[in-house]
Parts: sequence; C-alpha cells; structure tokens
Amino acid sequence: MGTTVSIELTPDRPDDELRALIADVCGWLHEVDARFSTYKADSEVCRFRRKEITHADLSPDMRHVLDACADLWRDTDGYFDAYATGPLDPSGYVKGWSVEVASARLLAKGSNSHYINAGGDIRMRGHHPDGGPWRVGIRHPWEADKVSWVLALTDGAVATSGTYERGDHVVNPRTGKPAQGLRSVTVVGPDLALADAYATAALAMGEPGIAWLAKRALDGYDSAVVTDDGRAFSSANLPAAV
Amino acid sequence: MRRSTAAAVGTLTGAALIVGVRLSVQPPAAPVAAPPAVDLAGGTPAPKPSASGNKSGKSPAKTQAPKTGLKDGVFKGKGATNPYGTVQVSIRIENGEITGADATYPTTADSATINPPAVAALKQETLGAKTAKDVAAVSGATYTSKSYAESLQAALDAAKA
Repeated sequence: MGTTVSIELTPDRPDDELRALIADVCGWLHEVDARFSTYKADSEVCRFRRKEITHADLSPDMRHVLDACADLWRDTDGYFDAYATGPLDPSGYVKGWSVEVASARLLAKGSNSHYINAGGDIRMRGHHPDGGPWRVGIRHPWEADKVSWVLALTDGAVATSGTYERGDHVVNPRTGKPAQGLRSVTVVGPDLALADAYATAALAMGEPGIAWLAKRALDGYDSAVVTDDGRAFSSANLPAAV
Repeated sequence: MRRSTAAAVGTLTGAALIVGVRLSVQPPAAPVAAPPAVDLAGGTPAPKPSASGNKSGKSPAKTQAPKTGLKDGVFKGKGATNPYGTVQVSIRIENGEITGADATYPTTADSATINPPAVAALKQETLGAKTAKDVAAVSGATYTSKSYAESLQAALDAAKA
C-alpha cells in the first residue's frame, strides 16, 4: 500500500508471543496488499478492473469493500469516490478497513491494549503501557515537528487527511479540480475506515466540509479542522487531552 | 333558456376534464420538500387485496403477472448528482404497482440554503502548536514511505526501538 505501519502492543505476555502477534498483523496487511493493490497486476482489484472476473466471482472481502465504497459515495454526496480517477480504486477504504480487521484479530488473540498506525491513520484499544489512555498528537499542518491537538483515547480511531502532504493531488471529484479551503482534516470515531473516508471527503469538499463534519458528530465521529488560512475548528466532543 | 343550459353543461364538462387531467399526472407520493430519509424496505406494506372472495379460482389476479411488468420489491435508483449534491430515489412496488416513493437529499453545506443544517458548525478556536512530548502516536497526512521517514511517528518509533 506504499505506506509504513507502526504497531505498539502493551507487553502483557512473553516477548516471543508479542512478536508472533505482530507477525500475524504484518501477514494480514501483506495479504490485503496482494489482493487489493491497484499496482499489482494479479490482484483481485486489477483482475476485476480488466473484467477477468465478474461480480459473481468476487471474494466476500471484495464484496464488502465495494458495498462500503458505494455507501460512502452516497453518504458523502459523491465526495468519496472510488472511481474518482477513472478505474476502480478502493484504496481510500481498504487501508482503514484492513487496520480495523488487524486490530480485531489482535483483540481476538487476547491483546486488548494496542495501537496500529498506518500512514498517520490510527486504530487503538485499551491503554498505554503506563496505564493511561493512548495520547495521540495531530500533526501541525505547517510545522512538521509540532502537534496542533493532543487527543486521549482508549478505544477508537483517528484519521487525518491533509493537503500539506500531497499538495494539489487531492481532487474534488465533483469538479475534477484540486481541493481548496482546508489544509488538514482529522476525524475521530469508532471505525477507522469510515473516519478515514470522512476526512478525505471533507478535505475534498473544502470549507463546506466543516458543516458537513458537524453532522457526523451525531453518529459519533468528531473532528478537528484547519483551514488554508490557519483557522482551527473542532467539534464539541473531540476527546482533547488536557 | 336553451342557451344557458348549454353553457352550464359546457362548464361542467370542462371541469370534469380538468379533474381528470390532474388525477392522471399526479405522481405517487411525490416528495415536495426535503423529508427525512425513509427506509421503504422497513415500511408497513399496504393492505393487499383480499383473495377470500375468489375461491372459485376463476380470478387470475394472484397468479397472473402484473400488467405493468414491474416486479415487487424496493428499488433504488442510481444517484443523480446536481449542483447541490446527490439525490437517490427509492420506490416500493407491490402487486406490480408503485405504492411508495422516497428520495434522499444532499446534506452537504453547499446545499445548506436549501436544506438548513441540523446542527451548528464546529466551533472555531486558536490553532495550537505544541511540542509532541508524551504522545504515543501521531496522526497526520503521511502518504509515502518518504514522508513517514520525516514524520514525528518515525521519530517516536525510533525512540522506542
């Protein structure tokens, strides 16, 4: 997926067992990459693109991903679009979903305190090894060595999308032009795949995305936004640390 | 005398025609304003015509395919995008007839003048710039391995390794 994943587990078992848990997560993420990559010609996504396989041949995971992308397209008024660049590219959902699954696998094996950070999008459970909540910094959109918010979370997801990284590459699918207005969008909520998709969609919307995000708070997705001209906004229940 | 009678008949005929026209163009349950999204699939089905009076079996109503050619069920249209957002229409078909119709409406802020926002926008605050001490992880837009290498998260990972 062209990204780096950081995993931290609370050391609640012998070292070799912790390493086995991390190996399991890495194995799953590499499997997802092999099956859903848009760069690997033999991936399920690429074979479906080339019509070598039909909808009836799709794996249950692929069906789930396609259904979720369709739901998100509708729920974001078309601003989350797996076809924004032409052929199917579900990467914007797959990354968060694969981390959700990885975290659930860790939990199923008894690891109830951990975080997985995939390219700045984080799913966490339980507590920091010192016993407190996980403290998550949100990168400052101009100063790479600073954070603009610190969140305290025990269970949930944090996803950030920003134009400071990809510049004009974030496209408004409605106009086909580069997204403008927002520099950084962070969404906090129960599901990383949705949080990531909402952050990406709001960034593409530009400043109207602030009011759109305000409505997501009703579903348990809080947010923190910085505009191109340096104004900051946050929703009432953002779990900001003191 | 004759003349006035003819005039009255003419008026009545005209009125009847108008009523007929209005009935024939009235769409089934057309939404006129932005209603809350309704899940047609979960709605109570309209009472079906009773079959108890047709025990002779002569009535083909139950077995014959509906004349309209419409299959029973709830069907969603492909979303249509207009300058204000995406609208998707759902219809419910029972016994070959449309018994319900509904549409979802855009909820983005650029349609706020049409659909008033349900909640206030996020509150504005001062943009902070803190040092990242005491954080376990950093959320940010890091899309590539190169940007990871330059990120606070990479520094944290290096510090823990």
